[in-house]
Amino acid sequence: MNKYWQIFKISLTQELAYRLNFIMWRLRNIIQILVFFFLWDAVFLGTNQIFGYTRIQIFTYAFVLIIVRAIIFSIRSNDIAGQVANGELTNMLLKPINYFKYWITRDFAYKFLNIIFGIVEVFGLILILKPNIFLQTNPFYFIAFIASLIIAIFIYFIILSIASFVPFWVPEIAWGAQFLTLTIVEFLSGASFPIDVFPNYIYQFLRFTPLPYLIFIPIKIYLGNFSYSLVFQSLVIGIIWVFILWRISNEVWKRGLKVYEGVGR
Amino acid sequence: MIFKKIKYYFKIWLLMAKNALMGWSVNRNVFLVFLLGKTIRYFSYFGFLYFLVRGSNGFLGYNQNQVLFITATYIFIDTVAQFFFRSVYTFRSIVVSGDLDLILIKPVNALFRVLLGGPDPIDFVTIPPILFVVIWIGSLMHPTTLQVLLYILLLINGLLISAAFHIVVLSIGVITLEVDYLVMVYRDLSSMGRFPIDIYKQPLKGILTFVVPIGLMVSVPAKAFSGLLSPISFVGTIAIGIIVFILSLKFWNYALTKYTSASS
Repeated sequence: MNKYWQIFKISLTQELAYRLNFIMWRLRNIIQILVFFFLWDAVFLGTNQIFGYTRIQIFTYAFVLIIVRAIIFSIRSNDIAGQVANGELTNMLLKPINYFKYWITRDFAYKFLNIIFGIVEVFGLILILKPNIFLQTNPFYFIAFIASLIIAIFIYFIILSIASFVPFWVPEIAWGAQFLTLTIVEFLSGASFPIDVFPNYIYQFLRFTPLPYLIFIPIKIYLGNFSYSLVFQSLVIGIIWVFILWRISNEVWKRGLKVYEGVGR
Repeated sequence: MIFKKIKYYFKIWLLMAKNALMGWSVNRNVFLVFLLGKTIRYFSYFGFLYFLVRGSNGFLGYNQNQVLFITATYIFIDTVAQFFFRSVYTFRSIVVSGDLDLILIKPVNALFRVLLGGPDPIDFVTIPPILFVVIWIGSLMHPTTLQVLLYILLLINGLLISAAFHIVVLSIGVITLEVDYLVMVYRDLSSMGRFPIDIYKQPLKGILTFVVPIGLMVSVPAKAFSGLLSPISFVGTIAIGIIVFILSLKFWNYALTKYTSASS
Protein backbone atom coordinates (compact mmCIF):
# COMPACT_ATOMS: atom_id res chain seq x y z
CA MET A 1 0.00 0.00 0.00
CA ASN A 2 2.85 2.31 0.92
CA LYS A 3 4.42 2.10 -2.54
CA TYR A 4 1.17 3.19 -4.17
CA TRP A 5 0.97 6.09 -1.73
CA GLN A 6 4.46 7.06 -2.88
CA ILE A 7 3.34 6.82 -6.52
CA PHE A 8 0.37 9.04 -5.64
CA LYS A 9 2.66 11.66 -4.09
CA ILE A 10 5.17 11.51 -6.96
CA SER A 11 2.34 11.87 -9.49
CA LEU A 12 1.06 14.97 -7.71
CA THR A 13 4.56 16.47 -7.72
CA GLN A 14 4.95 15.63 -11.38
CA GLU A 15 1.69 17.32 -12.31
CA LEU A 16 2.64 20.42 -10.36
CA ALA A 17 6.04 20.51 -12.05
CA TYR A 18 4.29 21.31 -15.33
CA ARG A 19 1.96 23.92 -13.88
CA LEU A 20 1.33 25.87 -17.08
CA ASN A 21 0.26 22.72 -18.91
CA PHE A 22 -2.07 21.83 -16.08
CA ILE A 23 -3.58 25.32 -16.04
CA MET A 24 -4.04 25.13 -19.84
CA TRP A 25 -5.85 21.80 -19.42
CA ARG A 26 -8.19 23.36 -16.87
CA LEU A 27 -8.66 26.40 -19.11
CA ARG A 28 -9.76 24.08 -21.90
CA ASN A 29 -12.40 22.60 -19.61
CA ILE A 30 -13.65 26.05 -18.63
CA ILE A 31 -13.94 27.08 -22.29
CA GLN A 32 -16.03 24.02 -23.03
CA ILE A 33 -18.33 24.75 -20.11
CA LEU A 34 -18.68 28.41 -21.15
CA VAL A 35 -19.71 27.32 -24.65
CA PHE A 36 -22.23 24.90 -23.14
CA PHE A 37 -23.61 27.56 -20.75
CA PHE A 38 -23.97 30.40 -23.25
CA LEU A 39 -25.39 28.20 -26.00
CA TRP A 40 -28.15 26.92 -23.74
CA ASP A 41 -28.69 30.38 -22.28
CA ALA A 42 -29.41 31.57 -25.84
CA VAL A 43 -31.63 28.58 -26.58
CA PHE A 44 -33.70 29.23 -23.45
CA LEU A 45 -34.40 32.89 -24.28
CA GLY A 46 -38.16 33.28 -24.42
CA THR A 47 -38.94 29.79 -23.21
CA ASN A 48 -38.64 27.88 -19.96
CA GLN A 49 -38.62 24.25 -21.07
CA ILE A 50 -36.87 22.49 -23.96
CA PHE A 51 -36.14 18.78 -24.39
CA GLY A 52 -37.69 18.21 -20.95
CA TYR A 53 -35.19 20.52 -19.20
CA THR A 54 -35.99 23.69 -17.34
CA ARG A 55 -33.56 26.60 -17.45
CA ILE A 56 -32.35 25.82 -13.90
CA GLN A 57 -31.80 22.16 -14.75
CA ILE A 58 -29.73 22.86 -17.84
CA PHE A 59 -27.53 25.37 -15.99
CA THR A 60 -27.10 22.85 -13.20
CA TYR A 61 -26.12 20.31 -15.86
CA ALA A 62 -23.37 22.72 -16.99
CA PHE A 63 -21.95 23.24 -13.51
CA VAL A 64 -22.17 19.62 -12.39
CA LEU A 65 -20.51 18.80 -15.72
CA ILE A 66 -17.35 20.64 -14.58
CA ILE A 67 -17.02 18.41 -11.53
CA VAL A 68 -18.05 15.21 -13.31
CA ARG A 69 -15.60 15.84 -16.15
CA ALA A 70 -12.86 16.48 -13.59
CA ILE A 71 -13.66 13.19 -11.86
CA ILE A 72 -14.17 10.99 -14.91
CA PHE A 73 -12.10 12.44 -17.76
CA SER A 74 -8.99 13.37 -15.76
CA ILE A 75 -6.86 10.39 -16.57
CA ARG A 76 -3.19 9.57 -17.01
CA SER A 77 -3.57 5.93 -17.95
CA ASN A 78 -3.99 6.91 -21.59
CA ASP A 79 -0.17 6.84 -21.59
CA ILE A 80 -0.43 3.03 -21.54
CA ALA A 81 -0.80 3.09 -25.34
CA GLY A 82 2.52 4.90 -25.75
CA GLN A 83 4.26 2.48 -23.38
CA VAL A 84 2.98 -0.51 -25.34
CA ALA A 85 3.97 1.09 -28.65
CA ASN A 86 7.52 2.12 -27.69
CA GLY A 87 8.34 -0.91 -25.56
CA GLU A 88 8.48 0.97 -22.27
CA LEU A 89 5.93 -1.51 -20.99
CA THR A 90 8.79 -4.00 -20.57
CA ASN A 91 10.39 -1.83 -17.88
CA MET A 92 7.08 -1.44 -16.11
CA LEU A 93 6.34 -5.15 -16.09
CA LEU A 94 9.72 -5.88 -14.49
CA LYS A 95 9.00 -3.62 -11.53
CA PRO A 96 7.51 -5.06 -8.31
CA ILE A 97 4.23 -3.25 -8.77
CA ASN A 98 0.88 -4.13 -10.24
CA TYR A 99 0.79 -2.36 -13.59
CA PHE A 100 -2.91 -1.46 -13.40
CA LYS A 101 -2.80 -0.40 -9.76
CA TYR A 102 0.08 1.85 -10.75
CA TRP A 103 -2.02 3.58 -13.41
CA ILE A 104 -5.14 3.71 -11.24
CA THR A 105 -3.05 5.42 -8.55
CA ARG A 106 -1.69 7.93 -11.06
CA ASP A 107 -5.22 8.53 -12.30
CA PHE A 108 -6.43 9.21 -8.77
CA ALA A 109 -3.64 11.72 -8.18
CA TYR A 110 -4.58 13.53 -11.39
CA LYS A 111 -8.28 13.38 -10.52
CA PHE A 112 -7.55 14.73 -7.05
CA LEU A 113 -5.89 17.83 -8.47
CA ASN A 114 -8.56 18.30 -11.10
CA ILE A 115 -11.40 17.98 -8.59
CA ILE A 116 -9.84 20.70 -6.42
CA PHE A 117 -9.46 23.00 -9.42
CA GLY A 118 -12.94 22.02 -10.67
CA ILE A 119 -14.54 23.04 -7.37
CA VAL A 120 -12.73 26.39 -7.41
CA GLU A 121 -13.84 26.93 -11.01
CA VAL A 122 -17.46 26.14 -10.18
CA PHE A 123 -17.49 28.72 -7.41
CA GLY A 124 -15.68 31.25 -9.62
CA LEU A 125 -18.07 30.77 -12.52
CA ILE A 126 -21.11 30.92 -10.24
CA LEU A 127 -19.86 34.27 -8.92
CA ILE A 128 -19.28 35.59 -12.45
CA LEU A 129 -22.28 34.17 -14.30
CA LYS A 130 -24.73 34.21 -11.38
CA PRO A 131 -26.92 31.37 -12.72
CA ASN A 132 -29.85 29.80 -10.90
CA ILE A 133 -28.76 26.26 -10.13
CA PHE A 134 -30.31 23.34 -8.35
CA LEU A 135 -28.76 21.75 -5.26
CA GLN A 136 -29.71 18.14 -4.75
CA THR A 137 -30.76 17.62 -1.13
CA ASN A 138 -32.42 14.20 -1.45
CA PRO A 139 -29.93 11.72 0.14
CA PHE A 140 -31.08 8.88 -2.14
CA TYR A 141 -30.23 10.77 -5.33
CA PHE A 142 -27.01 12.09 -3.88
CA ILE A 143 -25.76 8.65 -2.83
CA ALA A 144 -26.86 7.21 -6.19
CA PHE A 145 -24.99 10.06 -7.90
CA ILE A 146 -21.78 9.16 -6.02
CA ALA A 147 -22.29 5.47 -6.88
CA SER A 148 -22.81 6.33 -10.56
CA LEU A 149 -19.57 8.33 -10.54
CA ILE A 150 -17.61 5.39 -9.14
CA ILE A 151 -19.08 3.17 -11.86
CA ALA A 152 -18.21 5.80 -14.48
CA ILE A 153 -14.58 6.00 -13.29
CA PHE A 154 -14.18 2.27 -13.86
CA ILE A 155 -15.99 2.26 -17.20
CA TYR A 156 -13.80 5.09 -18.53
CA PHE A 157 -10.60 3.53 -17.24
CA ILE A 158 -11.43 0.20 -18.85
CA ILE A 159 -12.60 1.69 -22.18
CA LEU A 160 -9.40 3.71 -22.52
CA SER A 161 -7.33 0.69 -21.45
CA ILE A 162 -8.86 -1.39 -24.22
CA ALA A 163 -8.08 1.40 -26.70
CA SER A 164 -4.55 1.53 -25.27
CA PHE A 165 -4.02 -2.18 -25.98
CA VAL A 166 -4.51 -1.71 -29.74
CA PRO A 167 -0.74 -0.99 -30.19
CA PHE A 168 0.00 -4.56 -29.15
CA TRP A 169 -1.03 -5.43 -32.69
CA VAL A 170 -0.59 -2.10 -34.50
CA PRO A 171 2.05 -0.03 -32.63
CA GLU A 172 1.81 2.98 -34.92
CA ILE A 173 -1.89 3.37 -34.16
CA ALA A 174 -1.33 4.23 -30.46
CA TRP A 175 -2.60 7.81 -30.55
CA GLY A 176 -5.06 7.12 -33.39
CA ALA A 177 -7.03 4.59 -31.36
CA GLN A 178 -7.17 6.99 -28.42
CA PHE A 179 -8.24 9.87 -30.65
CA LEU A 180 -11.07 7.81 -32.12
CA THR A 181 -12.21 6.61 -28.70
CA LEU A 182 -12.08 10.09 -27.15
CA THR A 183 -14.02 11.58 -30.07
CA ILE A 184 -16.81 9.03 -29.71
CA VAL A 185 -16.85 9.37 -25.91
CA GLU A 186 -16.99 13.17 -26.09
CA PHE A 187 -19.89 13.03 -28.53
CA LEU A 188 -22.05 10.31 -27.02
CA SER A 189 -21.35 10.42 -23.28
CA GLY A 190 -23.23 13.65 -22.57
CA ALA A 191 -20.00 15.61 -22.07
CA SER A 192 -20.82 18.09 -24.83
CA PHE A 193 -24.61 18.14 -24.54
CA PRO A 194 -27.39 16.09 -22.90
CA ILE A 195 -27.93 13.11 -25.17
CA ASP A 196 -31.73 13.24 -24.79
CA VAL A 197 -31.52 16.09 -27.34
CA PHE A 198 -31.44 13.22 -29.84
CA PRO A 199 -34.69 11.65 -31.01
CA ASN A 200 -36.04 9.10 -28.54
CA TYR A 201 -35.05 6.00 -30.55
CA ILE A 202 -31.39 7.12 -30.66
CA TYR A 203 -31.47 8.00 -26.95
CA GLN A 204 -33.00 4.64 -25.99
CA PHE A 205 -30.39 2.83 -28.06
CA LEU A 206 -27.54 4.79 -26.44
CA ARG A 207 -28.82 3.94 -22.96
CA PHE A 208 -27.83 0.35 -23.58
CA THR A 209 -24.28 1.27 -24.53
CA PRO A 210 -21.68 2.15 -21.82
CA LEU A 211 -21.16 5.73 -23.04
CA PRO A 212 -24.01 7.62 -21.30
CA TYR A 213 -22.97 6.02 -17.99
CA LEU A 214 -19.83 8.16 -18.05
CA ILE A 215 -21.39 11.62 -17.84
CA PHE A 216 -25.04 11.79 -18.81
CA ILE A 217 -26.54 9.25 -16.41
CA PRO A 218 -24.65 10.54 -13.32
CA ILE A 219 -25.83 14.10 -14.01
CA LYS A 220 -29.40 12.98 -14.67
CA ILE A 221 -29.35 11.14 -11.37
CA TYR A 222 -28.02 14.25 -9.64
CA LEU A 223 -30.82 16.33 -11.18
CA GLY A 224 -33.38 13.86 -9.81
CA ASN A 225 -34.87 13.40 -13.27
CA PHE A 226 -35.05 9.62 -12.92
CA SER A 227 -37.56 7.67 -10.83
CA TYR A 228 -36.08 5.48 -8.06
CA SER A 229 -36.56 2.37 -10.19
CA LEU A 230 -34.87 3.97 -13.17
CA VAL A 231 -31.94 4.99 -10.95
CA PHE A 232 -31.57 1.36 -9.80
CA GLN A 233 -31.87 0.14 -13.37
CA SER A 234 -29.20 2.61 -14.53
CA LEU A 235 -26.80 1.62 -11.76
CA VAL A 236 -27.29 -2.07 -12.49
CA ILE A 237 -26.69 -1.56 -16.24
CA GLY A 238 -23.59 0.48 -15.39
CA ILE A 239 -22.23 -2.29 -13.14
CA ILE A 240 -22.96 -4.90 -15.82
CA TRP A 241 -20.96 -2.80 -18.30
CA VAL A 242 -18.06 -2.60 -15.85
CA PHE A 243 -17.95 -6.41 -15.70
CA ILE A 244 -18.39 -6.91 -19.45
CA LEU A 245 -15.71 -4.36 -20.30
CA TRP A 246 -13.40 -5.68 -17.58
CA ARG A 247 -13.65 -9.21 -19.04
CA ILE A 248 -12.97 -7.89 -22.54
CA SER A 249 -10.07 -5.79 -21.28
CA ASN A 250 -8.60 -8.77 -19.42
CA GLU A 251 -8.82 -10.98 -22.48
CA VAL A 252 -7.32 -8.33 -24.79
CA TRP A 253 -4.50 -7.69 -22.29
CA LYS A 254 -3.63 -11.42 -22.05
CA ARG A 255 -3.68 -11.87 -25.80
CA GLY A 256 -1.76 -8.65 -26.26
CA LEU A 257 1.01 -9.77 -23.92
CA LYS A 258 1.38 -12.96 -25.96
CA VAL A 259 2.13 -10.97 -29.12
CA TYR A 260 4.07 -8.21 -27.34
CA GLU A 261 7.65 -8.03 -28.63
CA GLY A 262 8.95 -5.05 -26.64
CA VAL A 263 10.02 -3.35 -29.83
CA GLY A 264 12.37 -0.48 -29.13
CA ARG A 265 13.85 -2.04 -25.96
CA MET B 1 11.63 39.28 -57.94
CA ILE B 2 8.69 38.64 -55.60
CA PHE B 3 7.18 36.10 -58.03
CA LYS B 4 10.48 34.29 -58.13
CA LYS B 5 10.47 34.11 -54.34
CA ILE B 6 6.88 32.89 -54.22
CA LYS B 7 7.74 30.21 -56.77
CA TYR B 8 10.78 29.22 -54.69
CA TYR B 9 8.73 28.84 -51.50
CA PHE B 10 5.91 27.10 -53.30
CA LYS B 11 8.37 24.51 -54.57
CA ILE B 12 9.66 23.96 -51.04
CA TRP B 13 6.11 23.68 -49.71
CA LEU B 14 5.27 21.09 -52.36
CA LEU B 15 8.34 19.14 -51.35
CA MET B 16 7.33 19.22 -47.68
CA ALA B 17 3.75 18.27 -48.60
CA LYS B 18 5.08 15.33 -50.59
CA ASN B 19 7.18 14.22 -47.62
CA ALA B 20 4.17 14.47 -45.30
CA LEU B 21 2.06 12.44 -47.72
CA MET B 22 4.75 9.78 -48.02
CA GLY B 23 4.99 9.64 -44.23
CA TRP B 24 1.27 8.96 -43.97
CA SER B 25 1.23 6.50 -46.87
CA VAL B 26 3.37 4.04 -44.90
CA ASN B 27 0.84 4.29 -42.04
CA ARG B 28 -2.37 3.72 -43.94
CA ASN B 29 -4.17 2.25 -40.89
CA VAL B 30 -3.40 5.34 -38.84
CA PHE B 31 -4.58 7.52 -41.71
CA LEU B 32 -7.92 5.71 -41.84
CA VAL B 33 -8.42 5.82 -38.07
CA PHE B 34 -7.81 9.57 -37.92
CA LEU B 35 -10.00 10.14 -40.95
CA LEU B 36 -12.80 8.19 -39.27
CA GLY B 37 -12.31 10.15 -36.02
CA LYS B 38 -12.49 13.48 -37.80
CA THR B 39 -15.56 12.42 -39.77
CA ILE B 40 -17.32 11.42 -36.54
CA ARG B 41 -16.40 14.76 -35.00
CA TYR B 42 -17.87 16.69 -37.92
CA PHE B 43 -21.03 14.60 -37.84
CA SER B 44 -21.30 15.28 -34.11
CA TYR B 45 -21.12 19.06 -34.68
CA PHE B 46 -23.84 18.99 -37.32
CA GLY B 47 -25.95 16.23 -35.74
CA PHE B 48 -26.20 17.98 -32.37
CA LEU B 49 -26.98 21.37 -33.91
CA TYR B 50 -29.51 19.91 -36.30
CA PHE B 51 -31.52 18.32 -33.47
CA LEU B 52 -31.02 21.32 -31.18
CA VAL B 53 -32.26 23.88 -33.69
CA ARG B 54 -35.07 21.61 -34.82
CA GLY B 55 -36.24 21.18 -31.22
CA SER B 56 -35.94 24.86 -30.32
CA ASN B 57 -37.00 26.42 -33.67
CA GLY B 58 -33.75 28.39 -33.91
CA PHE B 59 -32.35 30.83 -31.38
CA LEU B 60 -31.47 34.53 -31.15
CA GLY B 61 -33.26 35.06 -34.45
CA TYR B 62 -31.01 32.63 -36.33
CA ASN B 63 -32.86 29.98 -38.30
CA GLN B 64 -31.65 26.43 -38.90
CA ASN B 65 -29.77 27.17 -42.15
CA GLN B 66 -27.99 30.18 -40.67
CA VAL B 67 -26.82 28.27 -37.59
CA LEU B 68 -25.66 25.31 -39.68
CA PHE B 69 -23.92 27.65 -42.11
CA ILE B 70 -21.93 29.27 -39.29
CA THR B 71 -20.88 25.81 -38.09
CA ALA B 72 -19.96 24.75 -41.64
CA THR B 73 -17.89 27.94 -42.03
CA TYR B 74 -16.11 27.25 -38.74
CA ILE B 75 -15.34 23.66 -39.76
CA PHE B 76 -14.05 24.82 -43.14
CA ILE B 77 -11.69 27.46 -41.70
CA ASP B 78 -10.55 25.14 -38.91
CA THR B 79 -9.85 22.31 -41.34
CA VAL B 80 -8.00 24.47 -43.86
CA ALA B 81 -5.94 25.95 -41.00
CA GLN B 82 -5.11 22.46 -39.73
CA PHE B 83 -4.17 21.38 -43.21
CA PHE B 84 -1.65 24.19 -43.61
CA PHE B 85 -0.45 24.67 -40.03
CA ARG B 86 -0.28 21.07 -38.79
CA SER B 87 3.47 21.32 -38.09
CA VAL B 88 2.72 23.74 -35.24
CA TYR B 89 1.54 20.74 -33.23
CA THR B 90 4.99 19.18 -33.29
CA PHE B 91 6.96 22.39 -32.83
CA ARG B 92 7.70 21.86 -29.15
CA SER B 93 9.80 18.77 -29.81
CA ILE B 94 11.85 20.74 -32.36
CA VAL B 95 12.64 23.40 -29.77
CA VAL B 96 13.27 20.94 -26.93
CA SER B 97 15.62 18.78 -29.01
CA GLY B 98 17.50 21.81 -30.33
CA ASP B 99 16.56 20.93 -33.92
CA LEU B 100 15.35 24.49 -34.38
CA ASP B 101 19.03 25.42 -34.82
CA LEU B 102 19.10 23.31 -37.98
CA ILE B 103 16.07 25.16 -39.32
CA LEU B 104 17.43 28.59 -38.44
CA ILE B 105 20.67 28.11 -40.36
CA LYS B 106 18.98 26.99 -43.58
CA PRO B 107 18.42 29.46 -46.44
CA VAL B 108 14.67 29.29 -45.94
CA ASN B 109 12.56 31.54 -43.75
CA ALA B 110 12.37 29.74 -40.39
CA LEU B 111 8.78 30.81 -39.75
CA PHE B 112 7.72 29.46 -43.13
CA ARG B 113 9.39 26.15 -42.29
CA VAL B 114 7.84 25.70 -38.83
CA LEU B 115 4.42 27.11 -39.71
CA LEU B 116 3.82 25.43 -43.05
CA GLY B 117 6.26 22.56 -42.73
CA GLY B 118 3.91 19.58 -42.70
CA PRO B 119 0.54 19.86 -44.40
CA ASP B 120 -1.92 17.27 -43.13
CA PRO B 121 -3.13 14.89 -45.89
CA ILE B 122 -6.11 13.83 -43.73
CA ASP B 123 -7.47 17.36 -43.85
CA PHE B 124 -6.74 17.47 -47.56
CA VAL B 125 -9.20 14.58 -47.90
CA THR B 126 -11.84 16.19 -45.69
CA ILE B 127 -11.70 19.69 -47.22
CA PRO B 128 -13.67 18.88 -50.46
CA PRO B 129 -16.71 17.36 -48.68
CA ILE B 130 -16.71 20.21 -46.15
CA LEU B 131 -16.56 22.73 -48.98
CA PHE B 132 -19.45 20.92 -50.60
CA VAL B 133 -21.48 21.22 -47.36
CA VAL B 134 -20.66 24.96 -47.13
CA ILE B 135 -21.80 25.51 -50.72
CA TRP B 136 -24.87 23.33 -50.27
CA ILE B 137 -26.13 25.02 -47.09
CA GLY B 138 -25.11 28.40 -48.52
CA SER B 139 -27.14 27.82 -51.68
CA LEU B 140 -30.25 27.30 -49.51
CA MET B 141 -29.83 30.89 -48.27
CA HIS B 142 -29.98 32.41 -51.79
CA PRO B 143 -27.11 34.94 -51.45
CA THR B 144 -26.32 37.66 -54.00
CA THR B 145 -23.01 37.64 -55.92
CA LEU B 146 -21.72 40.50 -53.76
CA GLN B 147 -22.51 38.59 -50.57
CA VAL B 148 -20.63 35.55 -51.86
CA LEU B 149 -17.67 37.73 -52.83
CA LEU B 150 -17.54 39.41 -49.40
CA TYR B 151 -17.83 36.01 -47.76
CA ILE B 152 -14.83 34.66 -49.70
CA LEU B 153 -12.74 37.75 -48.88
CA LEU B 154 -13.61 37.44 -45.20
CA LEU B 155 -12.82 33.71 -45.26
CA ILE B 156 -9.32 34.56 -46.50
CA ASN B 157 -9.12 37.19 -43.77
CA GLY B 158 -10.22 34.50 -41.26
CA LEU B 159 -7.37 32.28 -42.40
CA LEU B 160 -4.99 35.21 -41.94
CA ILE B 161 -6.20 35.60 -38.35
CA SER B 162 -5.83 31.85 -37.84
CA ALA B 163 -2.27 32.04 -39.18
CA ALA B 164 -1.59 34.86 -36.71
CA PHE B 165 -2.81 32.67 -33.83
CA HIS B 166 -0.56 29.83 -34.90
CA ILE B 167 2.42 32.20 -35.16
CA VAL B 168 1.72 33.42 -31.62
CA VAL B 169 1.61 29.80 -30.42
CA LEU B 170 4.96 29.13 -32.13
CA SER B 171 6.44 32.26 -30.59
CA ILE B 172 5.33 31.30 -27.10
CA GLY B 173 6.77 27.87 -27.82
CA VAL B 174 10.17 29.46 -28.33
CA ILE B 175 9.94 31.57 -25.17
CA THR B 176 8.54 28.89 -22.84
CA LEU B 177 8.59 25.14 -23.36
CA GLU B 178 5.39 24.48 -21.43
CA VAL B 179 3.07 24.81 -24.40
CA ASP B 180 1.75 21.29 -24.92
CA TYR B 181 -1.79 22.48 -24.41
CA LEU B 182 -1.49 25.99 -25.82
CA VAL B 183 -2.38 25.06 -29.37
CA MET B 184 -5.27 23.02 -28.02
CA VAL B 185 -6.47 26.05 -26.04
CA TYR B 186 -6.45 27.92 -29.34
CA ARG B 187 -8.52 25.10 -30.87
CA ASP B 188 -11.02 25.31 -28.03
CA LEU B 189 -11.18 29.09 -28.27
CA SER B 190 -11.70 28.96 -32.01
CA SER B 191 -14.38 26.29 -31.54
CA MET B 192 -16.39 28.92 -29.64
CA GLY B 193 -16.92 30.39 -33.10
CA ARG B 194 -18.85 27.36 -34.31
CA PHE B 195 -21.96 28.99 -32.84
CA PRO B 196 -23.17 32.54 -33.57
CA ILE B 197 -20.92 34.90 -31.59
CA ASP B 198 -24.07 36.67 -30.36
CA ILE B 199 -24.78 33.85 -27.90
CA TYR B 200 -21.89 35.05 -25.72
CA LYS B 201 -22.46 37.89 -23.30
CA GLN B 202 -20.18 40.84 -22.62
CA PRO B 203 -17.30 41.04 -21.83
CA LEU B 204 -16.70 37.60 -23.39
CA LYS B 205 -18.33 38.64 -26.65
CA GLY B 206 -16.04 41.70 -26.83
CA ILE B 207 -12.99 39.55 -26.09
CA LEU B 208 -13.96 37.07 -28.81
CA THR B 209 -14.48 39.90 -31.28
CA PHE B 210 -11.53 42.20 -30.63
CA VAL B 211 -8.94 40.56 -28.34
CA VAL B 212 -9.02 37.00 -29.63
CA PRO B 213 -10.93 37.71 -32.81
CA ILE B 214 -12.63 34.35 -33.23
CA GLY B 215 -15.86 36.10 -34.13
CA LEU B 216 -14.12 37.90 -36.99
CA MET B 217 -12.87 34.56 -38.28
CA VAL B 218 -16.22 32.79 -38.48
CA SER B 219 -19.32 34.78 -37.49
CA VAL B 220 -18.50 37.90 -39.53
CA PRO B 221 -18.02 36.02 -42.85
CA ALA B 222 -21.28 34.17 -42.20
CA LYS B 223 -23.03 37.48 -41.45
CA ALA B 224 -21.69 38.96 -44.70
CA PHE B 225 -23.09 35.95 -46.51
CA SER B 226 -26.52 36.64 -45.00
CA GLY B 227 -26.29 40.33 -46.00
CA LEU B 228 -26.19 41.42 -42.36
CA LEU B 229 -22.76 43.14 -42.44
CA SER B 230 -22.30 46.90 -42.81
CA PRO B 231 -19.51 48.25 -45.08
CA ILE B 232 -17.74 49.74 -42.04
CA SER B 233 -17.74 46.36 -40.27
CA PHE B 234 -16.33 44.76 -43.41
CA VAL B 235 -13.44 47.23 -43.68
CA GLY B 236 -12.83 47.06 -39.91
CA THR B 237 -12.67 43.25 -39.99
CA ILE B 238 -10.16 43.21 -42.83
CA ALA B 239 -8.08 45.90 -41.06
CA ILE B 240 -8.04 43.94 -37.79
CA GLY B 241 -7.03 40.77 -39.68
CA ILE B 242 -4.04 42.52 -41.25
CA ILE B 243 -3.03 44.23 -37.99
CA VAL B 244 -3.24 40.98 -36.01
CA PHE B 245 -1.11 39.22 -38.62
CA ILE B 246 1.57 41.96 -38.61
CA LEU B 247 1.65 41.95 -34.79
CA SER B 248 2.09 38.17 -34.76
CA LEU B 249 5.08 38.49 -37.11
CA LYS B 250 6.62 41.09 -34.79
CA PHE B 251 6.03 38.78 -31.83
CA TRP B 252 7.75 35.93 -33.67
CA ASN B 253 10.80 38.12 -34.33
CA TYR B 254 10.84 39.09 -30.66
CA ALA B 255 10.52 35.43 -29.58
CA LEU B 256 13.52 34.47 -31.73
CA THR B 257 15.68 36.90 -29.76
CA LYS B 258 14.79 34.87 -26.64
CA TYR B 259 15.76 31.52 -28.16
CA THR B 260 18.62 30.05 -26.16
CA SER B 261 19.28 26.90 -28.17
CA ALA B 262 19.75 25.20 -24.81
CA SER B 263 19.33 21.58 -25.93
CA SER B 264 21.60 21.60 -28.93
